[in-house]
Amino acid sequence: MGKIAFKRVKGSKSLRQRLLLSALSLKPIIIDEIRADDMIPGLRPHEMSLIRLFDAVSDDSIIEVNETGTQLKYKPGTIMGGKNLVHNCALSRSIGYYLEPLIVLGIFGKKPLSIRLRGITNDPKDPSVDTFRSTTLHILKRFGVPAEGLELKIEARGVAPDGGGEVLLTIPNAQRLTAVHWEDEGMVTRIRGVTFSAKVSTDFEHSMRYAARGIFNNLLPDVHISEDHRYGPPAGKSPGYGISLVAETTSGCFISADTAVSWGRTDETGELDVEKEKRNPAEDTGAETASWLLQEIEKGGVVDSTHQGLLFLLCALCDNDVSKVRVGTLSPYAVETLRNIKEFLGVTFALKPDQETGTVALICTGIGRGDLFRKMS
Amino acid sequence: MAGDELMPPQRSHRTRKSGPTMRKKSEIDKKKRGVSDNKQQNPRAFAVKSGVKAKRLQARSAEKEQKRIHLPTIDRTYGEPPPFVIVVQGPPGVGKSLVIKSLVKHFTHQNLPEVRGPITIVSGKHKRIQFVECPNDINGMVDCAKVADLALLLIDGSYGFEMETFEFLNIMQVHGFPKVMGVLTHLDKFKDVKKLRKTKQRLKHRFWTEIYSGAKLFYLSGLIHGKYSQREVLNLARFVSVIKFHPLKWRTSHPYVLADRLEDVTPPEKVQMDKKCDRNITLYGYLRGCNLKKGMKVHIAGVGDYSLAGVTVLPDPCPLPSAAKKKGLRDKEKLFYAPMSGIGDLLYDKDAVYININDHLVQYSKTDDGTEEPTNKGKGRDVGEDLVKSLQNTKYSVDEKLEKTFINLFGKKTSASSERKLEAEDADLSSPEGSDTESSKESQSGDDSDDDERNDSKIKQKTEIHGGRMRRKAIFKDEVGQSDAMVRNKNPNLMQIVYGASGSSATALINETSDDEESDNEEFFKPKGEQSKNIGGGSDVGYVNSEDCSKFVSYGNLKNWKEKEVCECIRDRFTTGDWSKAALRNQNSGAGDDGEDDELYGDFEDVETGEKHHNPENMESGANQNEDAEAIERRLKKLALRAKFEAEYPFLPASFNLFNNKSGLDEGDDDEGGGNNPDNSQAKEPGYLEKLKEELEIRRQKNFLELNDLDEDTRIEIEGFRTGTYLRLEIHNVPYEMVDFFDPSYPVLVGGIGYGEDNAGYMQARLKKHRWHKKVLKTRDPIIVSIGWRRYQTIPVYAIEDRNGRHRMLKYTPEHMHCLAMFWGPLVPPNTGFVAFQHLSSNQAGFRITATSVVMEFNHQTRIAKKIKLVGHPCKIKKNTAFIKDMFTSDLEIARFEGSSVRTVSGIRGQVKKAAKNMLENNAQDGIVRCTFEDQIKMSDIVFLRAWTTVEVPKFYNPLTTALQPRDKTWTGMKTFRELRIEHNIPIPVNKDSLYKKIERKEKKKFNPLVIPKKLQAALPFKSKPKDVPGRKRPTLDSRRAVVMDPEQRKAHAILQHYQLINKIKTNTRKAKEKEKRKVHQAQKAKNEIISKKRNREERRERYRTEDKEKKKKMRRSED
Repeated sequence: MGKIAFKRVKGSKSLRQRLLLSALSLKPIIIDEIRADDMIPGLRPHEMSLIRLFDAVSDDSIIEVNETGTQLKYKPGTIMGGKNLVHNCALSRSIGYYLEPLIVLGIFGKKPLSIRLRGITNDPKDPSVDTFRSTTLHILKRFGVPAEGLELKIEARGVAPDGGGEVLLTIPNAQRLTAVHWEDEGMVTRIRGVTFSAKVSTDFEHSMRYAARGIFNNLLPDVHISEDHRYGPPAGKSPGYGISLVAETTSGCFISADTAVSWGRTDETGELDVEKEKRNPAEDTGAETASWLLQEIEKGGVVDSTHQGLLFLLCALCDNDVSKVRVGTLSPYAVETLRNIKEFLGVTFALKPDQETGTVALICTGIGRGDLFRKMS
Repeated sequence: MAGDELMPPQRSHRTRKSGPTMRKKSEIDKKKRGVSDNKQQNPRAFAVKSGVKAKRLQARSAEKEQKRIHLPTIDRTYGEPPPFVIVVQGPPGVGKSLVIKSLVKHFTHQNLPEVRGPITIVSGKHKRIQFVECPNDINGMVDCAKVADLALLLIDGSYGFEMETFEFLNIMQVHGFPKVMGVLTHLDKFKDVKKLRKTKQRLKHRFWTEIYSGAKLFYLSGLIHGKYSQREVLNLARFVSVIKFHPLKWRTSHPYVLADRLEDVTPPEKVQMDKKCDRNITLYGYLRGCNLKKGMKVHIAGVGDYSLAGVTVLPDPCPLPSAAKKKGLRDKEKLFYAPMSGIGDLLYDKDAVYININDHLVQYSKTDDGTEEPTNKGKGRDVGEDLVKSLQNTKYSVDEKLEKTFINLFGKKTSASSERKLEAEDADLSSPEGSDTESSKESQSGDDSDDDERNDSKIKQKTEIHGGRMRRKAIFKDEVGQSDAMVRNKNPNLMQIVYGASGSSATALINETSDDEESDNEEFFKPKGEQSKNIGGGSDVGYVNSEDCSKFVSYGNLKNWKEKEVCECIRDRFTTGDWSKAALRNQNSGAGDDGEDDELYGDFEDVETGEKHHNPENMESGANQNEDAEAIERRLKKLALRAKFEAEYPFLPASFNLFNNKSGLDEGDDDEGGGNNPDNSQAKEPGYLEKLKEELEIRRQKNFLELNDLDEDTRIEIEGFRTGTYLRLEIHNVPYEMVDFFDPSYPVLVGGIGYGEDNAGYMQARLKKHRWHKKVLKTRDPIIVSIGWRRYQTIPVYAIEDRNGRHRMLKYTPEHMHCLAMFWGPLVPPNTGFVAFQHLSSNQAGFRITATSVVMEFNHQTRIAKKIKLVGHPCKIKKNTAFIKDMFTSDLEIARFEGSSVRTVSGIRGQVKKAAKNMLENNAQDGIVRCTFEDQIKMSDIVFLRAWTTVEVPKFYNPLTTALQPRDKTWTGMKTFRELRIEHNIPIPVNKDSLYKKIERKEKKKFNPLVIPKKLQAALPFKSKPKDVPGRKRPTLDSRRAVVMDPEQRKAHAILQHYQLINKIKTNTRKAKEKEKRKVHQAQKAKNEIISKKRNREERRERYRTEDKEKKKKMRRSED
């Protein structure tokens, strides 16, 4: 045991999860060939920023990156948590990118985590902070994470390319996660949402809301979409607008969809992101997001496709009991999560596809990662 | 049972109506029922008078009640429990093996020649036990304490307690304290009954103080024909078999196997090449604790950490009897398995069964070479023997061979390859019955890219057992309903796609384009490769580096949700839609999932093993089809209640067994109507605890139901190997010493390592020196700790927490107090207890356990600090500023200490300012610091800076490899300072300056008396002038005066004087009288003493004489 046995993996694929699972399972890893054949090899700024974030919340972790950035060596330390932490997220990805692993890490820390993240709050690529507030935190509560102290405060909005947003995340420690039997997806009782506009006119919000409501009107009367218009410093540094929608079901499931529109950010290569070149008008954005939400509802399952990965991870980390959850079609990210979970935690899920509804039931036993780091009282 | 009718009717038991037995029994009975009818003599005296007092009493009783309650834990073991381990421990020569032999004889009616290794026996219909004899050295004791469910502590009654017993008790206490029973032996050495009784009493009370008062202590009075008396063994066996075990935290969270068999499976040629090559071994034993997940690492006590190369479930060598209703055990079922003792005749391996035949029983009809030695191995070969051998040599059974042909059916892979496949499969986990078509098919399909080819012309075998004969039914795939096959194939497919063989194209599943349900079904999963091709994304490398994004959005193919008909398809997912349809949907997925599952996985017959898999729900699923989730919840609650009830009254006939599959459920429903016992228990105490217990029980039942739904392979994949199964663990690259020095009398403990427990780190523990260990422990002296499954040597640093939260290093542990210990080692979860030793040798005097402790937390850094005093001398003084040298060696160091306070010996306080490199003109010397003081200091002053420095805890730990050396050799690790000093004859270093010396101070100089010149005196003012007062010659008036009393005064004075005189005389006379009296009494006493002494002597003389006479008489008689 004198020498550390590193687990070797390749590629930048699911870097977040690998780091997270490595930190949770205390298995040191080496990631090789990170974009070795790319024009610009090595780690991207957001990945470096993520690694810094991991280092900030943990103690005694060892991180080595080689000169070209194509190899990363990570030996996890103790997850500490702590108060009054500040992290500046790289602007190549939004805060959602960092939040996804961070919330899981925070639950298993030694102390409750309270961290201020600065960067881009809304972005079409990653789940927005609004979605985190409305959906992700509810999923955590299902697993027995105490509700008090579980909070995400949006202090300032910020969109691409210059960001300037700021959120305050507080996560309590969970003694242990309880296994869930979460199969009943229920029926959608209400749809809630929030639109925001930063440094632009509220007209954008109005038209987004109008378009979204127009789609829901066929199905449900109980639709409320609130507005969040920001100007001045809380609006960040770039102009943009966006929408985040949540459908709530009778059984307490939350299904979300969101997007944001802003100027495209310049890539490292100096070109603009291709997809960002054409920006949709606000009505189309609203309609698209609403349609996407309906699509998610149609797929079924207790969570939307974005949160599948998180759900599986939490299932794998809970007590030694059997969890059973039902999700819609597995997203590629979820599949990747399942594989990573098997690789790092050794937890296999039994998958039972349900032909009639097109959903998949997943069964697993948790590893019972309890309070390994906690101090005995 | 016709025979029973012929038997004469047995007389029924007549209960005692009077006598001590009856009284005792009735008392116990009353206690059980909670009735106390001991009439108070004066009930009014104890009536409640004060309301406050009554309240207080109530509060006290409530508090006591709450203290009794423990947080309920969920029992995650399903199915048959593994045999309970009964460790028999005691000092050498106390009769351990004899107790085991007697108990084995009692349970199985078989004689055990010798006790080596664990001995498993079936002791009852639902109970198996495993006896382990605890070896006498400390390593064996530690390992035994970790596995024991019940410890029988054997004590030599004629000698008394020995240290081993207490050591073992202490080891057990830190590792979770299993049940303990004491057994006193050698009681026949007492001749005097009274002395025997006294000794028993004394030992019992000593035992009670150590465990708890009322702990069971057994007395084995003596040997009869070299065995303990049958009656006593029977009693002991009864106590052993009714004992209940409570779960211990460490063990319920870690799987472990107490190996009862070890085989060396290294290829013989490898061993021949190099005798000291690393070996591959297999260990066999029951899995205990919790489920063993695949890929878990294990620690073999005394060897090290290994990953399991293979785990196989073997059929139970000592199974419980069938559940048929009958009283007691048949003789046939009194099984008994002890491979290390060389008893069990059958050995089941993964793919073979070995029959042990004693050498003299082996007979060949004819031997070729004429030598009449039938048992030679490998010299002479007979044709028949050859034939038999060749038959034995086949590696695979007929079924498997058949399958080989089947594999040859498609593809040109030769049998070799198929054999390889089979081997691969063997390495995998497979069901105990060697052949399984299904799994081989699956493994095949993992490689095969196209499923369609398989479907068209495939013959499946279906093996069943009909009337003792194995029938293999050939089933053509076409016969099976196509849709059914699809559905059945779907499940492994999805799992395979997700977890598929890594070699195959990494496939992810995407379902993006799906407008109608049909196409959805067909393209439910689409390989990622295709998708990336569609997008135009590039090669495999690109995939490896694909973007890390949880959101998966493609707006391109969104449906037009504005259209009504499109909306209608999800109308039922909204509350505005059809609720019944939605409920149906939920039911399908939730509760009704079972209904569908029945078609999928329900009551199918396993083709490989020929056994039928019944789903517990399955049978009633028809009835329960319409049940919603609530009903299921209700049923689970009912089950939970039942289980709880059973747990409370375990002695009732077990009419309901959870594992009697569906019958249990049915019965549960029936019982609910008739018996209302569960309701009673609920009505009694619907408190928080009850609710919690119920919740846990429901959870347990849910787990059980969910897992029951899965097929065997998936189940193992998901929950791991279940406790109670007999496992074969294959471990590769074990040092050869383990095999060479293997001693079956020492337990081989294989313990699973939990998450993060194979990493090493700093652990902080609360430690207390054992009160029986003579010496205190020294910081940085290596100690041997037994923690979790491991034993290792490590170097602790002791500390204590100051009031300000600082951890101050201690050089030695406190005498009677807890302190903190920080050490480096493989991590264990907080709250794990451990025990520390200094040496392991058995020939130590005194108590070997040096400390007991519990881990509080682990860290990746240490926070221990110790005092440091930096000493400096002034080199230049300017008013209140001084330049101090010798305190620091570099300017960098100074920078670290800027602003800290300093002090001189004389008590002048100051502050460190800055490095003074530039301020001193000529001095280029480093490490001179400028300090300011509250007053000017002198050049002769010494300046101190008092600070704290962190203490490094050595990163050292050395696993004990006691199994890799002869067991009688003591393991030696790092030596303590003291040992090294003694070994190398090095004296303890002495710093002369640190020695205490007598302080010699210069005598103070005596000054001459002050003389003021006359001239000066004259000039001084009067105030300052020395006053020359001459001495008085005449006495003062005060002393000269005479006192003249009044006549009354005089009278009073006289009376007082008289009284005093009288009093004095009185006391004097009384004292004289008392003296005389005492004298007389003393004389009398002396006289009496002399008389009694004389009498006693005579009496005794008389008695001895008669005794001697009688003895002589007896002697004479006996001689006659």
